[in-house]
Amino acid sequence: MARAGPKNFGLMFKVRDHLKVEPGTLNLKSWLCSLQTSLNRFSVRSLVFGSTLLVVSYLVIVPLFMLLYASVRSTEDKLPFEATATTVANYVVVFSNPSTLSILLNTIGFTLGSLSVGLPLAILFAWLLERTAIPARGWLSSFVLVPMAIPSLLSAIAWIQLLDSRNGLVNVALRAVLGLKGDTGPFDVYSLFGMCFVQGLRLVPSAYLMIAASFRAMDPSLEEQSAMAGRGVAQTTLRVTLPIMRPALLAALIYFIIVVIESFDIPGLLGFTARVRVLSTAIYWATHSEVGLPDYGLASALGVIVLAVALILMWIYHRLTAHQERFATITGKGYRPRQIHLRGWRIPAVVLCALYVFIAVILPFLMLLWTSVQPFYSVPSMESLGRASFDGYRNIWHDGSVVRALWNTTLLGSVTAVATLVLAILVSWFVVRGRREGGALASYLATVSFLPQGIPSIVIGLALIFVYIRFPIPIYGTLWIIALAMTTRYLAFSSRATTSALIQIHGELEEASQMAGAPWLRTLRRITVPLLAPAMINVFFWVAVHAIQELSMALMLYSPDSVVVSTVIWSMWQNGKTADAAVLGVLLSVLSALLLVAGQAIAYFRRSSY
Amino acid sequence: MIRTSNLVKTFAGTRGEVRALRGVSFEVAKGQLFTLLGPSGCGKTTTLRCIAGLEQPLAGEILVNDRPVFSSSRGLFIPPEQRRMGMVFQSYAIWPHMTVFENVAYPLASQLRRKELKHRVEQILERLGLASLADRLAPNLSGGQQQRVALARALVAEPQVLLLDEPLSNLDAKLREQMRFELKSLHDAMKITTVYVTHDQEEALAISDRIGLMHEGALLEVGSPAELYLYPAHKATADFLGSANFVPAEVRQSGNRPGDEMLVESRIGSFVARRSVEWQPGMPALLFFRPEYVNLAESLDQNANGTNRGTAIVERITFLGNSVDVVVRCGEIALRARAHPTRAPVGGKSVYFTVDPSSCIVFPA
Repeated sequence: MARAGPKNFGLMFKVRDHLKVEPGTLNLKSWLCSLQTSLNRFSVRSLVFGSTLLVVSYLVIVPLFMLLYASVRSTEDKLPFEATATTVANYVVVFSNPSTLSILLNTIGFTLGSLSVGLPLAILFAWLLERTAIPARGWLSSFVLVPMAIPSLLSAIAWIQLLDSRNGLVNVALRAVLGLKGDTGPFDVYSLFGMCFVQGLRLVPSAYLMIAASFRAMDPSLEEQSAMAGRGVAQTTLRVTLPIMRPALLAALIYFIIVVIESFDIPGLLGFTARVRVLSTAIYWATHSEVGLPDYGLASALGVIVLAVALILMWIYHRLTAHQERFATITGKGYRPRQIHLRGWRIPAVVLCALYVFIAVILPFLMLLWTSVQPFYSVPSMESLGRASFDGYRNIWHDGSVVRALWNTTLLGSVTAVATLVLAILVSWFVVRGRREGGALASYLATVSFLPQGIPSIVIGLALIFVYIRFPIPIYGTLWIIALAMTTRYLAFSSRATTSALIQIHGELEEASQMAGAPWLRTLRRITVPLLAPAMINVFFWVAVHAIQELSMALMLYSPDSVVVSTVIWSMWQNGKTADAAVLGVLLSVLSALLLVAGQAIAYFRRSSY
Repeated sequence: MIRTSNLVKTFAGTRGEVRALRGVSFEVAKGQLFTLLGPSGCGKTTTLRCIAGLEQPLAGEILVNDRPVFSSSRGLFIPPEQRRMGMVFQSYAIWPHMTVFENVAYPLASQLRRKELKHRVEQILERLGLASLADRLAPNLSGGQQQRVALARALVAEPQVLLLDEPLSNLDAKLREQMRFELKSLHDAMKITTVYVTHDQEEALAISDRIGLMHEGALLEVGSPAELYLYPAHKATADFLGSANFVPAEVRQSGNRPGDEMLVESRIGSFVARRSVEWQPGMPALLFFRPEYVNLAESLDQNANGTNRGTAIVERITFLGNSVDVVVRCGEIALRARAHPTRAPVGGKSVYFTVDPSSCIVFPA
């Protein structure tokens, strides 16, 4: 479903041959004439191209500019545009404040900690499921992805119930079993360790997808050659497989550093109580201060810092993946690589995978379910089981904001998915096939549409506040501004997914339609779009699931009218309405799971209909 | 009728501009099958795509039935969808999400009534032996069937011009030969002006009314298959079509008119050849003759005069089935010859060779 693996990004930047008119070969009159014909000829197409260019630039460039602008405005108790003075005071405040250092250290610690939990597991699972003869491969490879259905916000809530130092289920159980004294510990979820653990588990599915894709893309004959040269499994893995995989693994590492730096839900929920602030949550608390007015100047200065870090990482990542293409890893041949026999390790390997699925999915989901049927939170016991009731699921519909949030979330998910998809298809078409529009413009489009990958969600949320609070388009405080933020954020992933799909569609298929007399739009509608359908289904459901689960952008931009499920869960939790949050959380998880299943089902039935 | 004049096309390459076409001009008469032949990268496909309108040349002019579809001097460019040409792509480009019927009906859509459309499509499917496959999806077709569907789709709208881009290159050898004859008879029946692009000389010789030989973005030579094969005017043509022996030589006597006989002194003896261009005695030249015109014999006809002959040592013999490829050495020059498979000479033995003067051609060195 969520294919995170960016493989063909380098292709987007290849300068395409384009029309050049040699000076002197044409006189002015004929030049004007030729301009006329090209205007006539490409009117629809150039109109669409121009609009795509404008919309993408507007979505990406304007917020970044406003963010930079706001960061150099003096904002004592004011909004950035009420103040007049240009100042570096915000940066001075950021860099002179001792808490900045601790925020940076926390961010680094949180990033490294989460990655050291998530990546080794992901690499291990990818290797086990792609390269070894592990039993029940099909089931396991689907189950590894299931944690995606549980929003991070809710896995954080579930893990609080499980690992709360005082009455978390796991801690209570461990104290009883091990006969530990005292009424706290041994684990405390409200700590850097707890944050890293929960975040690390969350990373596994998408990291697994990315790394498994690179394992799959590797030409197995490279390994077979090593075997023919008399090397064993260990030697081949060390001397051939890993060196070939190194750029891909490094790219995955960089990619997930960005993901962790950007993540908000888990550090937001756990880090507040734990007093561990990272960059993303620091930006949020600067704008949602419990005392005093929001400090937009400080927030934007922090935003610029985290943006700079993310963009630099993004650039490194891009270099790595562009370089990766030199390793001839992609083959169109359907060879399955040789599978390594696990022998005595078969059972431990399956148990390990099952254990991960239990810890990452079953345990937190059961906990969430348990909390949702309890009037107030209590450690599971026979006594509390007697109190279990589904009243929560009935009563929640009486809450007007919940109903509004569910409706808004549905709307948000579908609007964002459709908008992102349409934009992604147009962007990738012009990037891949827009030879007539010129190489420079196509490269610009490719770069700008990919830029949001390096813009943390919280920063997009922040920047859009600056854009629309004073902007003539009255969408501030509506659902549309959230949809706009998410479209911007998800454009990067979506356009790259459609781009790599479009690259694989032979250009002659479209040219054949042209030769058959079809104008541009008809070719796009009758040929290109149907052929892109599998990628479009993927993108649509990926965006929809992400949009309904997303918290940070929604939290920065929502108003009482535009609440969505994730923000309602957040405020319920902040107000101690644990059971209600759990009820809504279960509903959101089920909705996400249904979307994921629907996406897979549609893809499956389309395939089998051929 | 198609006429191109002075087509120029450049591509932006990794190291600056690549001149893909350097002034290509030719004319295809109405109903003719014209083949653009040449090695890969010679610009033949680019030329075809310029005629189709899929590429826009930098300069030049293209006329179809006396109407310009591209003219740089007038700033005119008719887009491909308005040129009403049929085209078969190298990859066939059969749309995999449509059935055979839908693929073939696509060029007709919106201009015909449903009943007539169905009739037209069925007619062309029938003609190409595809009637039973109408409801199949493209991925369920064999290579040969896909090729036919592509052809049906290109022909269904009855275009004035048919463009074929290496249409047989993805088929296996047996099928290729069969389709070659089918294409030829289809063309003879429908008489559509056709431009055919291939790198396969055998295919070009078998199918074409006329062949244009392309080399490094330029059209070297145009002629009927027999003209080009038997009497090439350029060394590159001689080299590309069939196999060739080239022997360095010097002109001794030149005839008065083209077609007269001339005399050259080569490294392997004196040769009488056909005069092609104006020669001055003493000019350096290159003597050319094809292996199949080299006669090998164990003894010589005593009455023959002293030119166009010599002795050589048989160096290597390769059995090819329908003939035997023989390499003989005459001093430092190695010559290739063809022999009947049952009458192959013996390796290491000395043989006499003769070449008929009418098969000898002299090129500038």
